[in-house]
Amino acid sequence: MEYVIELKNVDKEFKVLNRHEGLKGSFQDLFSRDYKIIKAVNDVSMNIKPGEIVGYLGPNGAGKSTTIKMMTGVLQPTRGEILVNGRIPYKNRTANAQNIGVVFGQRSQLWWSLPLIESFKLLKDIYGISDKDYKDMLTLYESLVDIKELYSKPVRQMSLGQRTLSDILAAFLHNPPIVFLDEPTIGLDVSMKAKIRNLIKALNKEKNTTVILTTHDMGDVDALCERIVIIDKGTMLYDNDIEHLRSFFGAYRTLLIKTKKHPEELSEDEKNAELTAVETIVKEDFTDKDFTFATTDEGWCSILIDESQVRLMKVLNHIQEKMKVYDVRLEEISTESVIRKIYEDAENLKKAN
Amino acid sequence: MKRLGFYISIYRKIIIQDIKSKMSYRSDFIISMIGMILTDVSELLAFYIMFLNFPSVCGWSYHEMLFLYGFSLVALTPLQCLFDNNWHLRHYVYDGEFIKYCFRPINVFFYYISEDFDTKGLGQFFVGMGTIVYAWYKLDLPVTFVNIAALIVALFAASLFMVAIMNIAAASCFFLTNSGYIMVTMNKFRDYAKYPVTIFPIFFRIIFTFIIPIAFIAYFPSLVILRPAEIPFLTWFSPVYGIIFFYISYRIWMWGASKYSGTGS
Repeated sequence: MEYVIELKNVDKEFKVLNRHEGLKGSFQDLFSRDYKIIKAVNDVSMNIKPGEIVGYLGPNGAGKSTTIKMMTGVLQPTRGEILVNGRIPYKNRTANAQNIGVVFGQRSQLWWSLPLIESFKLLKDIYGISDKDYKDMLTLYESLVDIKELYSKPVRQMSLGQRTLSDILAAFLHNPPIVFLDEPTIGLDVSMKAKIRNLIKALNKEKNTTVILTTHDMGDVDALCERIVIIDKGTMLYDNDIEHLRSFFGAYRTLLIKTKKHPEELSEDEKNAELTAVETIVKEDFTDKDFTFATTDEGWCSILIDESQVRLMKVLNHIQEKMKVYDVRLEEISTESVIRKIYEDAENLKKAN
Repeated sequence: MKRLGFYISIYRKIIIQDIKSKMSYRSDFIISMIGMILTDVSELLAFYIMFLNFPSVCGWSYHEMLFLYGFSLVALTPLQCLFDNNWHLRHYVYDGEFIKYCFRPINVFFYYISEDFDTKGLGQFFVGMGTIVYAWYKLDLPVTFVNIAALIVALFAASLFMVAIMNIAAASCFFLTNSGYIMVTMNKFRDYAKYPVTIFPIFFRIIFTFIIPIAFIAYFPSLVILRPAEIPFLTWFSPVYGIIFFYISYRIWMWGASKYSGTGS
């Protein structure tokens, strides 16, 4: 078996009632048969090899969760084929569940009131893990993270970070060929994020587990994923490795300028006013060129420039003539801006492809 | 399909662990137990006061009524102890949290229901047993093997009915967004279970026998012990009905669960 996951032209449609407005409309809805069809996933195809870590990205409501639910056998695709471990997931949910691990957002799947080790023991029974495999796995866990001190702690008393950690370990416990992680680092502090990323990477390396990861945190992508798949409005926009993506946007650079002495002290409105001022200046001279403007957390104005259209230095010179600039920084395009760029103009990308 | 032995062994382990963890919150455990006992005892008191004024209700004596009441308490214990998680179902469904029960290689109904063991029900069980024993003694019922066996079978059948009713009521949340009142209403019906069905007008008697079969929770099964001479023919089938009704409720629950996951996030 060359691929652990195969998706071929997968569609998923939902039937939604066309709602009418107002009180009268609500009464109409009671008897209405007026449905519209919403395409949550539209003609998605991908093949995933054993041991890959795939970042599955897209804005909220893009169809990520729907795809994952189809791969885990909870949802049935409207059209198309899905094979997971060579099996059709929705036709036999339990057999599929035996061979995957799932961590879904912030919803802990462990027994809320039980100490962690008791949850592990129950999972051992549920998945039929042999004594030896179970012991080996715990030894591996103990070598990777400080899990021992959590064993006797009930899940309800854990911090979010500890709970996420425990949930991830629980998902890998029966050594499934595939693990789905839905936003595993959401809401965690920086050091906990790093810990979770290292853990995922180590488990993937040690057990050659395929990991499908959805996230909005580009740190996760940079740290873990060799390959990313981007989806928006149900349609696949991109499927390739991350280096290819960056080189694709190689002509883009980010210009950061400081227009006030202490921009970090400005209010949100003042920051936006600064940005608008810069935007006006740039746009009046380079009317036909594309830029992306944003404010950083420290109050700097960031301008994403396509150097194949206009040289960055030219833009900077122009700004300096018109207003006082206190400081300047240049940055290569970050993964984050690349992804944002893709969401923003999916159409351009399609043309370029 | 996994074997029955597998599920029993897992169920036993989950329940032991759950009870252990609940007992570790000692004051919480004791107070909720006492609360449940007080509720039941105060109802017994109401019975007693009522019978100070009336010698019998529709031909049912005080001690027969006590028996019926105790019987209904014990019959409701499995519902209270083992199926209490049904009360939370609509919250899980409403905020999408229910999906997490779909990722394990075991039956979804089993996984969901086994998650919680409500220790409050134990207090109810002891009050109920005490009441049955007291009424048994006062009514001078014979203590024979057949009688005890009949009592156990009758209790088993009776509890299935109430569990099935609440399963269906809980499953309504898969189909309706505001289903809380259905559970509350159905739960109210169990108050009627402790009266002989003959005190109700014929209309309700039919409803309580065939539509919402609460007459099977205490009335019909108790007749087997109390008045074996005047048992309606239906009674003999109540264990079979109980199993069938429970199975139907399970299918409805599972159907709802599969429909739920079909509606997306």
